Amino acid sequence: MKKIFILSGLWLFISACSTDLDQFPSNIASSGSLTDFGGVLNAAYFYQTASVTPMAVMGDFRADNALMIESPYTEFDAFNPELKSMSNQFFSPFYTALYKSILSANSVIENSSNATHVGEAKFLRALSYFKLVQVFGDVTVNLSPLPSVTDKSILVRQPMNDVYDNVILPDLQDAINVLGTTIVNGRASKLAAQALLGKVYVHRGDFNKAEPYLAAAVNGASASGVVLNPDFADIFVTDLNSEIIFATQISSSVVDEYRFSDFWQWYGGRDSKSLDPLDPRLIAAFDASPGDLRRVVTIDEANMASSKYPQAGGPDYDWIELRLADVILLYSETLNEIGDTSNALVQLNKIRTRAGLDNSTATTQVEVRTAIANERRLELAFEGQRWFDLVRTGTAQSALGLAFDNQYYLFPIPTSEVLSSFGVITQNPGY
Amino acid sequence: MILYFKQKHIMNLKIKLTFLFLTMFNVLLFAQNGVLITGQVVSVTDSQPIPGVNVTIQNSSKGTTTDFDGNYQIEVNKGDALRFSYVGFSSQVITIDDQKVLNVSLSEDLSTLDEVVVVGYGTRKKSHLTGAIAKVGGDEVAGVQAARVDDALVGKLPGVLIQNQSGEPGSDPKIQIRAASSISGNSNPLIVVDGYPISGNLATVNPNDIESLEVLKDAASAAIYGSRGANGVILVTTKKGKSGKATFSYNAYTSLSNKYQRSNLLMNANEFGAHIESNIANGNWDVSEVNPALLQFRIDAYNNAPDVVSVEDWLFRTGFSTSHDFSMSGGSENVNYFASIGYLNTEGIAITQGFEKLNARLNIDAKLGDKFKTGLSFNGFTSDRNLLAHDQRDLLRAYSIHPIYHTEASISFVQQLDAQARSLGLKPFDNGYRGGNSPFNRSIYTLEPGMTAQDWHYGREGNGIGGTGDAGPATKLDNTKQWKKTFFGNVNSYLQFSVIDGLNIKTVLGGDFIDTRDYFYKGLEADAQGRSNQTRLNQDDLKVTTVLSETTLNYAKEFGKHDISAVAGLEFQNTTINGTNLRGTNVPYGDIINYNLLAPADINTTERKETMIRQSVFGRINYAFDNRYLLSVSMRRDGDSRFGANKKFAVFPALSIGWNMHNESFLEDNSLLSLLKPRFSIGSLGTTSFLGAYNSLSLLNPRPTVLGTGYLIPEDIANADLTWQTNKETNYGVDTGFFNNLFKFSVDYYTSDINDILIKQSVSEVLGTPFVKLNSGDVRSSGLEFELSANILNTQDFSWTVNANLSTVKTEITSLGNLTELPRVIYGQSGRGPMFRNYVGGGIGEMWGLETIGEVEDVHIADPTANIGFNSSAYYVKDQQSPGEPGYGEIDYTKPVSEGGDLVMIGQNTPDFYWGFNTSMKYKNFDLSMQFQGSQGGEVFNIDPLYWKSQFGGRLRNSFDANNDGIADHNGEHYTLTANQTDATMQDASYIALRNITLGYAFDSEFVSKMGLSSVRLYAAATNLLFLWANDYTSFNPEGVQTSGSDYLGPTTYGVQNGASPTVRSFTFGLSINF
Repeated sequence: MKKIFILSGLWLFISACSTDLDQFPSNIASSGSLTDFGGVLNAAYFYQTASVTPMAVMGDFRADNALMIESPYTEFDAFNPELKSMSNQFFSPFYTALYKSILSANSVIENSSNATHVGEAKFLRALSYFKLVQVFGDVTVNLSPLPSVTDKSILVRQPMNDVYDNVILPDLQDAINVLGTTIVNGRASKLAAQALLGKVYVHRGDFNKAEPYLAAAVNGASASGVVLNPDFADIFVTDLNSEIIFATQISSSVVDEYRFSDFWQWYGGRDSKSLDPLDPRLIAAFDASPGDLRRVVTIDEANMASSKYPQAGGPDYDWIELRLADVILLYSETLNEIGDTSNALVQLNKIRTRAGLDNSTATTQVEVRTAIANERRLELAFEGQRWFDLVRTGTAQSALGLAFDNQYYLFPIPTSEVLSSFGVITQNPGY
Repeated sequence: MILYFKQKHIMNLKIKLTFLFLTMFNVLLFAQNGVLITGQVVSVTDSQPIPGVNVTIQNSSKGTTTDFDGNYQIEVNKGDALRFSYVGFSSQVITIDDQKVLNVSLSEDLSTLDEVVVVGYGTRKKSHLTGAIAKVGGDEVAGVQAARVDDALVGKLPGVLIQNQSGEPGSDPKIQIRAASSISGNSNPLIVVDGYPISGNLATVNPNDIESLEVLKDAASAAIYGSRGANGVILVTTKKGKSGKATFSYNAYTSLSNKYQRSNLLMNANEFGAHIESNIANGNWDVSEVNPALLQFRIDAYNNAPDVVSVEDWLFRTGFSTSHDFSMSGGSENVNYFASIGYLNTEGIAITQGFEKLNARLNIDAKLGDKFKTGLSFNGFTSDRNLLAHDQRDLLRAYSIHPIYHTEASISFVQQLDAQARSLGLKPFDNGYRGGNSPFNRSIYTLEPGMTAQDWHYGREGNGIGGTGDAGPATKLDNTKQWKKTFFGNVNSYLQFSVIDGLNIKTVLGGDFIDTRDYFYKGLEADAQGRSNQTRLNQDDLKVTTVLSETTLNYAKEFGKHDISAVAGLEFQNTTINGTNLRGTNVPYGDIINYNLLAPADINTTERKETMIRQSVFGRINYAFDNRYLLSVSMRRDGDSRFGANKKFAVFPALSIGWNMHNESFLEDNSLLSLLKPRFSIGSLGTTSFLGAYNSLSLLNPRPTVLGTGYLIPEDIANADLTWQTNKETNYGVDTGFFNNLFKFSVDYYTSDINDILIKQSVSEVLGTPFVKLNSGDVRSSGLEFELSANILNTQDFSWTVNANLSTVKTEITSLGNLTELPRVIYGQSGRGPMFRNYVGGGIGEMWGLETIGEVEDVHIADPTANIGFNSSAYYVKDQQSPGEPGYGEIDYTKPVSEGGDLVMIGQNTPDFYWGFNTSMKYKNFDLSMQFQGSQGGEVFNIDPLYWKSQFGGRLRNSFDANNDGIADHNGEHYTLTANQTDATMQDASYIALRNITLGYAFDSEFVSKMGLSSVRLYAAATNLLFLWANDYTSFNPEGVQTSGSDYLGPTTYGVQNGASPTVRSFTFGLSINF
């Protein structure tokens, strides 16, 4: 009997043990315990991954390099409201990923005491907004790591020029000021920031402002170990080869959460929605460039697909955001536009030489402009650039041989954004 | 007054002596002229003798009672009618002929009034109940063959809707008690087994172990469970041992099953060829715009395709299952035990599906002297479930012109088609071939018999046949594996001390443990296009450990006409979750993998560790006066770590009253009305709903990235005010009984107001998360429940009872905080689903879309170089504005008519009412029971048929809209090229099902006892023998609503069907033996 009393006493004691309702798990974000924001910065890099396949599809399939074969994907080759139905596949993941990258970058910028981390974060934030404005035009600007859930006014889309002036340009300027010359593990560098800032100015048609940054990038590239890769095919299959200024690095072993890194499948005609993506107009462009070494590396005419990303490398291909040839061609274009046609040709011929071509025969500013545009197309086909080049130069309709409303230069805002913001985030006209 | 004991055979000596005395007294008193008749009275259910049965001669004052062995003797005259009655059993009247011996079996009367009902933290006499509690006895569960407890409950109880969203073996049904308690979370009720709230679901309980099930439906009954009670509570009481001889029982069955359907939904190629020809021949399809040579090429291809088996016939098969259950129970005067073990092995109706489980239970109760009682119980459950590892919808849309696996004939056929296509100037059939690593990705000229056939072997855009460009179904399925292993264990013990008469203190200590492993593997060939060149592995291990300690003080006492009982208690619960997620690439398939041999870069693991703590204080007082006026008051205060720092505690009070009017003097002698009991209850409940351990906090989510560990954007935004939602419920009920309760009828009406409802509200992705969790808004629901039961016949040879119930639910959103509507959600990939709207004044999860006014005629389908689509799935849509109104002339998919758009409400999944009808009959040794269930007025947005149609190339070219303005040239109507977001995809989800029919035969007890057994019963049963669904429903399971996927936010987006596993029909033969 005594035992029983002891036993029951013990049970009562256990029952009465108080427990704590306040839980503090170690990975709590609001605890202020995080001092090193390197992990948050890594996330800002990582989130770029989901933007790459949409960039590929918008950059080449919307333009005259690649075709969509199967409905409803064919909407990329038409210019009407139906493109909106591609929201879930492309525009929504693109949008979501970039705003997540921006939030992560905002957190580093606001909290980190590491100047390099802040510089990298500003580069990534500028890159994200640059991608967003190219695709959507006016966009929501969030510069806070903890935006208000209830204040819908922060979601109002800001004019594209304000996004450039108030976010992209100052962020890149700051990044240039703090980042080092050396490229570490493919992370953002001073070179990358200069190149991107130059590219941004070119996209705005402000060639005078672009010139010093592109000059610095082209002339300073070798100091960062960046040179033109003599083997054109190697640029696409070897990650972080000598020509890469900045790439969104992709590894299949950490990627499967975002299957949108399969740009190489789309280009290679391995996605059933477009088994023969190669646009005959690109073949014609190569036909007009006889002896071009880039032809077999770029197009696979037997299979009507791109050959830049062979099957073997599979899902580990990085997405090239900036490479030296791109920057040289932008510099060439800039020089030509500000009247220095002869130096423009010097830059252009660097690219032609590597392609096994003779120097350009163009002489006038107009001829050189056309030559550079053509060179960009052949050099950068299947790298997500073509459509955005056509739009910025106002040549999309003439190049595609189609007349369509200018509103289709922009892509549709994801429908879910319009709905979840109760219409504060507006849809682009025409969609 | 006669005391009724649920365990009626455990009688102490005092009672036995009393009976002995009474029996002797009676024998003396009534010994007189006539014939002496003797016999024994036993219970039908367990053949045990019943002492104390009143044996009276009708229309006389003569009578006796049975002794403690159930024996009686009485002097009668021929023609006398002997009446055998005992509380808790149905009475029997037998007219005396010439017999000298009359043995009688009494069956338990389920409508008995003084039945004891289990309630939260205690029991109560049924006649003293004031809340809405439904009870199902264990024999009702065991009497129908059911693989799991939920199956036995389907259609039995008003206000309880059990929906089989999937026919996969081992899948859990959706159980919804009354109105939805949440608009974002699930509806799973709390499961309490023998007083212990388990973390597992009903699957962990063996149906053969059930003594009784009680469902607490209203707030007053469930409020004692406070924050966990809002979804209702199911109280499970398992069998306990009884003192005396050990008894054993064995139950085994085997069953065959297949998918329930009226006919094959999918045609094979030859059937489709014939279908094309007959439609052209009888003028349904005008193909005058189509090049006749190409048309003939296509028809011939379908007609001549060899070795075709429809993908439906390949995927589904006859399932098979076997089950064995063994239990023993017994005990001495002081220690009782019940132990059981059950095994079930099921092969599913779709290839690869299987489910194997083992249940074990041990219940031991012991008396330690006069003051102490103690007990220990253990329940173990382990299961192994193989799933269909590829999306069923995607498998079924395979292109039917090809076989599943290639044969000599099919290879030469496709090569011959290629030659024909080329000669017609069409693209070659190898158009889809791309080379590469995958072994099946072959040119059609290098195929070998036995290889899986791919859609692209047979055609692509431009070669006249069409096709999806996907891998064939066997490629997709043969290279994926998905299984789930579950282990659940629960051990709990109690110690009860009787302080003074009527006052007990009881402490319970227990723990349970769930360990699950979810495994998913994709081989090289298994992406939708069958061209993945990496294997993928995803393995989730989750271990959830819960420790619970509870101490209660119980008091029960009768003082004259006052009957008081009270309970007060403290409860602590601590749940820890430890999880490991493992993702691998380039990993070989295997049940056991040696990770050391894999490249480190190919393996990622993520750990998860969470703790949830709950603290509660609760109490209840029940009072009954003179069996007439009834009152119950309860209160619970819960604290839960999941909520925001500012709002961790909440109080849940409840009150209920009842009036046994039939016990009032003015009704006491009423021969018609034997029961009249109005009831009223009011109370409040809470729910933690969908909340995980740390949803009020913002947590960094570490993940491997190329550049090292990345801290991802937190899924949750910190919210210190995140708190319980409170459900305030009122219940008005009345129970009536007629003709000595042969007929009973009950009505309940309830209202439920949910305040501060927990919502997953979608927000702009600019915030870094697709939705936030917050308390915002109120929902009001009401419902009516009717239940009718009747003992139509009750004689020795023939008894028949029926029970019918019907329930309605109506729900309205009455507030959404400062919003008038939640963000709208357009559901599904490419917006294939409807737009879900949840707005103030509307219901939960209304589906909105365009109103169609007919299908686009097939005559307008042309362009023979592309796919020649016959099943166009293009519709004319109604412009909701009249000429002159703004918005006239265009179709706006984004706004309802009230805002100038063209969307109208096209349906909602909530049924108008649902019902059940149960009947059981016994004739001599035969028993027959049937369980009908139905649901009326719900709708599903059924995406499946769109995919099945597409396999024949449904791509319509709008040759009828030359200027591409969205208006058909020939009739001026607006059209849509897809059925997306239209009412054309809505289907009626109503059904009437014969859920179960069981026919049993019990062998004569004399015959059985010669074999040394106490009872033997053989039975045959069928589930879903009959399943009627609406004519416009064209899929496999009208209950199969999708509850996963990125767009699924809970009940606010409930109602889309997308690849539901079919309803299963099964036939079972079984045997049960007791000895």
